[in-house]
Amino acid sequence: MALSPTSRPPLALPGFEHIKRGWNDTYEAFSARLMPGEYYVTLHDEGVYTTLGSCISACIRDRVRGIGGMNHFMLPASGGKDGWKSSGLSAATRYGNFAMEHLINDILKNGGKRENLEVKLFGGGRIIANMTDVGMRNIAFAHDYIETEGLQVTAEDVGDVFPRMVVYFPKTGRVRVKRLRSLHNNTIAEQEIRYLTTIEDKPVSGDIELF
Amino acid sequence: MNPNIAELVQGVQGLVTLPDVFIRINQLVESPDSSMNDIAAAVARDPSFTVRLLRVANSPFYGFSSSIDTVPKAVSVIGTSQVRNLALSTAIASSFAGLPNSLVSMENFWRHSLYCALAARLLARQAHKCDAEAVFTAGLLHDIGELVIFNRLPERAKEALQLVLDDAEGLTVHQAERQVLGFDHAQVGGELARQWKLPSLLEECIGCHHNPGEATRHPREAAIVHIANALAVMAELDTLAHEDVSPIDPLAWEAIGLQGDDVIESTVHEVQAEIAEAEKLFLGK
Repeated sequence: MALSPTSRPPLALPGFEHIKRGWNDTYEAFSARLMPGEYYVTLHDEGVYTTLGSCISACIRDRVRGIGGMNHFMLPASGGKDGWKSSGLSAATRYGNFAMEHLINDILKNGGKRENLEVKLFGGGRIIANMTDVGMRNIAFAHDYIETEGLQVTAEDVGDVFPRMVVYFPKTGRVRVKRLRSLHNNTIAEQEIRYLTTIEDKPVSGDIELF
Repeated sequence: MNPNIAELVQGVQGLVTLPDVFIRINQLVESPDSSMNDIAAAVARDPSFTVRLLRVANSPFYGFSSSIDTVPKAVSVIGTSQVRNLALSTAIASSFAGLPNSLVSMENFWRHSLYCALAARLLARQAHKCDAEAVFTAGLLHDIGELVIFNRLPERAKEALQLVLDDAEGLTVHQAERQVLGFDHAQVGGELARQWKLPSLLEECIGCHHNPGEATRHPREAAIVHIANALAVMAELDTLAHEDVSPIDPLAWEAIGLQGDDVIESTVHEVQAEIAEAEKLFLGK
């Protein structure tokens, strides 16, 4: 994607400088490209986009102040070396909590109000036919989390068998979900498996920076 | 012709071969001296193809009123050029098993091809003056260049697919391939069809399915496969949103004298209704 010759992207919030951004002609705005495990929060009128297989993206914003962002995560299959039969389930959930809390905390830290938050949820597709339905597990986690936290889902497109590309504008809440053809399944699955390996090697505890 | 394309295609000649039965039938159909009996004899020499031909000919997919129980009857009822199409259609998925790749599963690849074939056949019937069975075969074969690229140039093919995923503005796979490789899978498939001496209709439909305006000999059929390709993706993704699929050239609609969302919607729905049966017949599921 070519940068617009006339302008530079709006200043990134501290901690998000490493996220790749580029000019987007269609939307006439800059947009940030999220990879699995990353998240991004902005105060500006810019987009955030990502491609999802069985991973989940929560798009969250303060609908009054227009501050918001997106994450991109999945639960690890096991809770680290112990395997997910023993302490695994809680460890996996802990990882999901981290992903959601990082996004929400950064929105609040930058002026968002908890009572104004709206959530849109995408992904969790079953893109590899004979694998266990990890997408479903991610969706169930996200629904649980949102309910427990008393947040509101205003739109979602989850499950089914295809990957998705999601483009989100936190300022306005506008979102575009494009279903992707199965030609892309393997490329996306490979990316997610690589990401899964990194989170399974890294137990979640205390102050470890995951993202 | 980009010299890289010809070279690439020559590189797979030993890996993927057309079945002998197709090659014999093809020669006989092209030859003015051969009779229907010659063609029936060529078919009968291949027992497994004979079984498949009779099975497909008697399926509801073709809807012939009488039962077709012998090869000569099949050839006379179905017609020689249609027997040639069937020989190619029923063998094509297995003949490409010699070109494995890690970028797309064969199942997903052929399902898309079959969706396209079904959509092309339906469009041809509505458009009239088009050989519905020939464009069915063309639809089945339209992306074969992709298998060549994925097998021979996996790293660069992956780079092209990654470009598509990194672009939020609808960059298509063939555009990305042109950026990375300097050519696209339609051109590669067209060259493969040319080197295999497939009928010119197939060569043009495969080679021009992203640029139907470039077709000179069979512009209507190329337009149909171009449109069918987009409708195939709609059927696969269960969507009628134009933004979800690669754009359809308005001139293609003009070329076949059809238009409008009604045609799209009814074709997509009919294709979705036909896919399971067709998978059994053509992909041996």
